[in-house]
Amino acid sequence: MLRTDEILATIQMLHAEDLDVRTVTLALNVDDCAAPSMDSLCRKLREKIIGRASRLVEVCNRIGRKYGIPIVNKRLAISPVSHLLAGHGQTAALAVAQTLDDATAACGIDLVGGFSALVQKGVTPADAGVMRSLPRVLSQTKRVCASINVASTRAGVNMDAIAAMGRIIREIAGATAGQKGFGCAKLVVFANIPEDNPFMAGAYVGEGEPEAAVNIGVSGPKVVVSALKRRMELGDRLTLGDLAEEIKITSFRVTRVGELVGREVAAELGVAFGIVDLSLAPTPKEGDSVGEILQTLGIAKIGAPGSTAAVALLTDAVKKGGAFASSSVGGMSGAFIPVSEDAALDAAVTAGHLSLEKLEAMTSVCSVGLDMIAIPGDTPAETIAAIIADEAAIGVINNKTTGVRLIPVPGAKVGDRVEFGGLFGSATVMDVRNAGASADFVNHGGRIPAPIQSLRN
Amino acid sequence: MKPQFAHAYVLNVMADDHPGIVAAITRAVSQRGGNIDACSQTVVEGYFTLIMVISFDQPVDPEALAAEIRGSTSNGFQVVARPYQPVTKPVGKTDRFVLTAFGKDKPGIVRRFSEYLAGKDINITDFFAHREGNDFLLIGQLEIPVAHDLALLQADLEQIAAELAFTVKLQHENIFVATNQLRLRR
Repeated sequence: MLRTDEILATIQMLHAEDLDVRTVTLALNVDDCAAPSMDSLCRKLREKIIGRASRLVEVCNRIGRKYGIPIVNKRLAISPVSHLLAGHGQTAALAVAQTLDDATAACGIDLVGGFSALVQKGVTPADAGVMRSLPRVLSQTKRVCASINVASTRAGVNMDAIAAMGRIIREIAGATAGQKGFGCAKLVVFANIPEDNPFMAGAYVGEGEPEAAVNIGVSGPKVVVSALKRRMELGDRLTLGDLAEEIKITSFRVTRVGELVGREVAAELGVAFGIVDLSLAPTPKEGDSVGEILQTLGIAKIGAPGSTAAVALLTDAVKKGGAFASSSVGGMSGAFIPVSEDAALDAAVTAGHLSLEKLEAMTSVCSVGLDMIAIPGDTPAETIAAIIADEAAIGVINNKTTGVRLIPVPGAKVGDRVEFGGLFGSATVMDVRNAGASADFVNHGGRIPAPIQSLRN
Repeated sequence: MKPQFAHAYVLNVMADDHPGIVAAITRAVSQRGGNIDACSQTVVEGYFTLIMVISFDQPVDPEALAAEIRGSTSNGFQVVARPYQPVTKPVGKTDRFVLTAFGKDKPGIVRRFSEYLAGKDINITDFFAHREGNDFLLIGQLEIPVAHDLALLQADLEQIAAELAFTVKLQHENIFVATNQLRLRR
């Protein structure tokens, strides 16, 4: 028999603190849809998606109702589209993207990830086709999300690919200028991309993954904030170790929700259960904020000295709680700091407390990277590339995933406000200091060699 | 559960809560050579209540046993004892859910929800209710026949809750197990 206090603790998380399953992502390998003709390829792709994913939304809704937990997003991730496009021209890329858009719409799925290429060591003609098609794909489709992996700890940092991505991000922003460059919000440039990430825009199905699997993303910044505040109200003098323990316990509980839902959805769909990714992913809703966790930990102005240490504490405690809760933890699992999607981070940028450089420092210990950051539309492509290179270097040297999702807002200057809407929130355009001063470095091109794995001081 | 001895009885005790109640009850049982086969006890707002299955190798007079326990303290136990009959549960397949409802207190809330559940042949296996200020909370652990459409039950309960200006949730118990207990049920 359940105890009353157990029931009440769970009810509190679910109904007062906005705990939800942020995403159920069906990971589907579509390599078997490759075909010599585009008509055949697109038909097979559409049939496979509809055949495997058409019940996803209905099953998620039913299971969410059974447990009284909202499943906010139902999404699809596919194997890298570059595999399908090998041997086809650039027009093929748009046709495949539109097929993905249409097929997922028919299934009621809001986003599909995997319009991807892995180019950390070199770019194949198919990869180049994917990269060059991004401005058109991301401006002419609604649901398609893209990711390009430009670096890895084993391969090093592909500066040629990064330089190209700097230019392509500017082109995407231009192609979606009417939406303040929103197309860039559907693209992540990664180092050490995880094969099983359920969160968009970076979800895709990597090598070694099953043909189909359900990957779950759970979140819950507000649950963590509330747990910390309740613990503090008990009046004891708490050390940071005590607070880390509280975060760990909360993360355990949150992860369990994901595992419960994920296993049941997978069983109903007749596919493997993949992973549960506990990533504290903020939304613009008040209180649902990683920044507010940092404030609760005692960082009055986010970006002040101590912010990086606080993010490190948070990320590590989340990973520990998640790892104990489930043997299937994967993806990113940590804390996201997407500026436009987090009201407290956005406020810190607007108030001038949080700079791009400090955010970069925080990304060295958070679970992803420079995320949903609006920058001036005239930021040079080489400077965007150099920011990506810095972030990739952090990931490569520290053997972790890092990502960049920058939005050069056409026509916008530092301090302008930009509204992206919905979960993407709004942002103040950040200052990019020393813009243009990295061009010679980026233009050397080539590859920064893979780092030494010993002598790690 | 099979009692240890052939002559089993159900004992129900209510008293003001204070140290020594369980000792007084078990002393009376023990003096007659009895065995305690099952027991559940709780305290609600300072009142102690206990239900116990006990067994003996010889028949005992339940009323005499109850009188002896009543007489074992000056604090005024209310005691009922009667012969134990194994209860056969309905054979229909059920699934376990938790009902929670909260809102401003007024008479009739538990009646509305429990009458609805009874009408649907839903068994309440554990029930908790608490008033704090003007707020009232009830939690029921339920066995729901699997033939029921969960969405319809939830819609009905939400309708009742709306009429009472209450918030109600009906959730499968595994969400509470998953978030509170170390081992996840498979």
